[in-house]
Amino acid sequence: MTIPVSLVINGKTQAFDVGAHHVVADVLRERFGLTGCKVGCDQGVCGACTVLVDGAPVTGCATFMFAVDGREVTTIEGLGLDGALSPVQQAFLAAGAFQCGFCTAGMILSVTALLLRDRDPDEATIRQWLAGNICRCTGYNAIVEAVRRAARQVAEAS
Amino acid sequence: MSAVASTSHEGFAEFRKKVTGGGVYAFDICVDRMLHGKLLRSPHAHARIRSIDLRAALQIPGVVSIITGEDLRDLPDPYYGVGLRDQPVIAMDRVRYAGDVVAAVTAVDEQTAFRATQAIMVDYEPLPALMSVAAALAPGAPLIFEEPTRGGSPVLGAGSGFRIDPAPNVLYEYSFAYGDADHWLGAADQVFTDTFDISRINHYHLEPYVNVAWWSGSRVEMWSCNQDPFVLRADISRIFGMPVNDVRIHTPLIGGGFGGKSYCKMEPLLALMARKAGAPVRLALSMDESLLTLVKHPASLTLTTGLDAHGRLLARRARIDLDGGAYCDASTLVAIKTGFRIGGPYAWKAIDSCARVIRTTTVPSGSFRGFGGTQASWASERQMDMIARRRGEYPLALRRRNLLKVGQPFAPNDSGMDCDLAAGLDQLVAQMPPAARKSGRGMGFAIGIKDAGGTGNHAQAQVRLNQRGDVMVSAAAVDIGQGGPAAMCAIATQALGRPFGSATYAAVDTEHTPPDNGTHVSCATTITGLAVEAAALDARAQLLAFGAARLGCAAADLELEGWSLRHGAELHPLEPMIRSYYGGVGWEFAGRGSFKEPYNPATPMGARNVSWMPCWSGAEVEVDGETGQVAVLRLVVGADAGRALDLGACHGQIEGAAAQAFAQAMFEELRYQGESPANATPLTYRVPRAADMPAAFSSFVAEHGLGAGPGGLKGIGEAGMVGIAAAIANAIEDACGASLTRIPFTPERVLEALDAQSSNICAASK
Ligand code: FES
Ligand code: FES
Repeated sequence: MTIPVSLVINGKTQAFDVGAHHVVADVLRERFGLTGCKVGCDQGVCGACTVLVDGAPVTGCATFMFAVDGREVTTIEGLGLDGALSPVQQAFLAAGAFQCGFCTAGMILSVTALLLRDRDPDEATIRQWLAGNICRCTGYNAIVEAVRRAARQVAEAS
Repeated sequence: MSAVASTSHEGFAEFRKKVTGGGVYAFDICVDRMLHGKLLRSPHAHARIRSIDLRAALQIPGVVSIITGEDLRDLPDPYYGVGLRDQPVIAMDRVRYAGDVVAAVTAVDEQTAFRATQAIMVDYEPLPALMSVAAALAPGAPLIFEEPTRGGSPVLGAGSGFRIDPAPNVLYEYSFAYGDADHWLGAADQVFTDTFDISRINHYHLEPYVNVAWWSGSRVEMWSCNQDPFVLRADISRIFGMPVNDVRIHTPLIGGGFGGKSYCKMEPLLALMARKAGAPVRLALSMDESLLTLVKHPASLTLTTGLDAHGRLLARRARIDLDGGAYCDASTLVAIKTGFRIGGPYAWKAIDSCARVIRTTTVPSGSFRGFGGTQASWASERQMDMIARRRGEYPLALRRRNLLKVGQPFAPNDSGMDCDLAAGLDQLVAQMPPAARKSGRGMGFAIGIKDAGGTGNHAQAQVRLNQRGDVMVSAAAVDIGQGGPAAMCAIATQALGRPFGSATYAAVDTEHTPPDNGTHVSCATTITGLAVEAAALDARAQLLAFGAARLGCAAADLELEGWSLRHGAELHPLEPMIRSYYGGVGWEFAGRGSFKEPYNPATPMGARNVSWMPCWSGAEVEVDGETGQVAVLRLVVGADAGRALDLGACHGQIEGAAAQAFAQAMFEELRYQGESPANATPLTYRVPRAADMPAAFSSFVAEHGLGAGPGGLKGIGEAGMVGIAAAIANAIEDACGASLTRIPFTPERVLEALDAQSSNICAASK
């Protein structure tokens, strides 16, 4: 069975048919070549596949494609403008908030969503918010530092 | 491990890719006509395979081919393992743990391959499972392997000994001794014997094991997440009986490994699948399967330690049992390193240590960050505190009295200590402000230690310098998150006097890349770094020789200044000089460099250890005496980078390792229930999340400048793993008197230890 969907992916409207069992991560990777969306656990646990749906983080591996029909999906490739980095990407780079980088796209999107809701999150809020994103490499300190930097940068820019 | 020139995170193109989604991992590799593989795994811990019926599976549309043990028949040497080779490429007549691979399906897509695995009928004859070391060693226990083990021991030297298959279900035994332990333990003023246990954990690297392979004629090509491309090339060549040059491995970015992706695993099986299918095949394991592929060795360590009347350490005897699981993997090396490192960072008159690897019908144990150093340091540093307390002295005083001094060899004929252990301890203590004495609170310290750089390791490198002064660094240090390529570029540009941003790290491809022994044992910055430095200096010498010939002077009269040559008062821009001579597209000065730590049979490891990796660890805890709950309030961990190329990267390595050690100490564990793991799923296997970390968690980077690498640097990638557990247990004892000897420190164990302590006190007061 296929289902027609129409949605906005990284600012561009896309209309196509998907199988009822297709999940967002696979469609983004395989159909649109958006391989920045990484699949770690494939069970909605690690957050590596996090993408934004109408600005809210969801796990792409555990969300059916038909469920995002009519919505707006943002992936890591959709952040930043014309090759420039978004403030969160810039902060992750400056703070060295990644090692292997496999969790990084999901982390950056998750943090982007946090800063849309709370422009000045305290450390406890940051750590709680990141509960959905596992990083096995860094020990998280550099990531928390990157969130603080990004928050400062966003505050300064506005 | 590695570290990189400051500001490099922003200037290094590879780093930028990691924040834009542009980084390419083996997981992302997709080739034309690519098929997909899925594996069928044994539900039994131990069984004979009577027959496998593939008929139904092969009839499913889209199924291309299926590999079973039958397909190994025409392979000349279908086993792998480090030194000792006992793991078949796929199960032949027997399965030896729940998770052992029985059949491998290749199909047009993953769903079809998965459905086919479910349609395969395997007739098993269950055999008795041996789920623990005790069960495997019990008299009359069935043998997990009936035939003698193939292969031999890794290289060893003076003072070290080994036995292969020394007893039923014992794979390997390593012994290490110097001095007369009997004499010194007999002469000791005090002797203490304690036993320590450590649990089984998994790497939980976020990128699962994934490889893509295809054949063209007699050659096989593979995109691999393996961190040791040349080791893998050698294994595939041996297993298939083909020249190494017919095996080509590409290593893109690796999504974490921590040892889990070192040495050969399922890659030869994939090569076989691709050969049979006659098409490219991608085999991506799930994270569940990663949990069934490799773990860190659970172990039990009994230490007998003697001291003289002044509290000086005299001798230690260690009896170590490592649970090796079903197959060898890197167990030989882990046994060697655990046994060798058991003395910790102290001076002894005698050591007598013996580490055995016992086979059980559980997930194979192998390489994991810390590599025996975790197990040895846990037991050693925990016992140091216990001894100090029994002697009624401050644990740090006992440590300080016995620490190895700078330059003092760790063992006879080995390299000297290349850092100031006492200075590091002072730095640690300075970062642990004495908390207000409060009941239930306590502080603990530990100095874990591990050698780094491997045994007799080597690396080669090429550094190409073009007419514009751009640098291309080519070496086999792969990027597994440690920033190895950036470190290599920093080393090359420092040696050349070029800006960091002028360097590019070439893709790792065994067809072009100069070889090394693999990106593990924290060797990249030191071993590969020295090769890169030598290659850069060679390129520079070629450039100066060229300039000297053009200018009609001696190379010694020239100096590189920016991208010009200074000759006395004259400055000659290089690009026009090179272009005017070579024309065309320009020229490259291609420098070659290499490093080899020579074998030396007089040393215990068979070669000097290249460097030493101490881990100064401090913990402050609060223990709830009612519930046994432990809160780690502060964790400080430091390591010596020798010279830090990039402080941020060093902190990241130390903290990342410490986070893994913290989780193992507190809660993380792969548990068995009956014959199968109870929590081998991403959801039930708990790793630390951001909010799980101690409220105050920090690291420091010492730069003692004595490392063997370029400019005194050395590896630190594993350091953070090896001191944390002991520091936390020592803090728990300081807080409430509960003496813990088993990891993890669950509330039940804390309460048990508290009960034991109060009954001891009662007994003593009677
Ligand atoms: S891959 Fe989707 S949550 Fe882990
Ligand atoms: S950087 Fe490797 S998992 Fe986060």
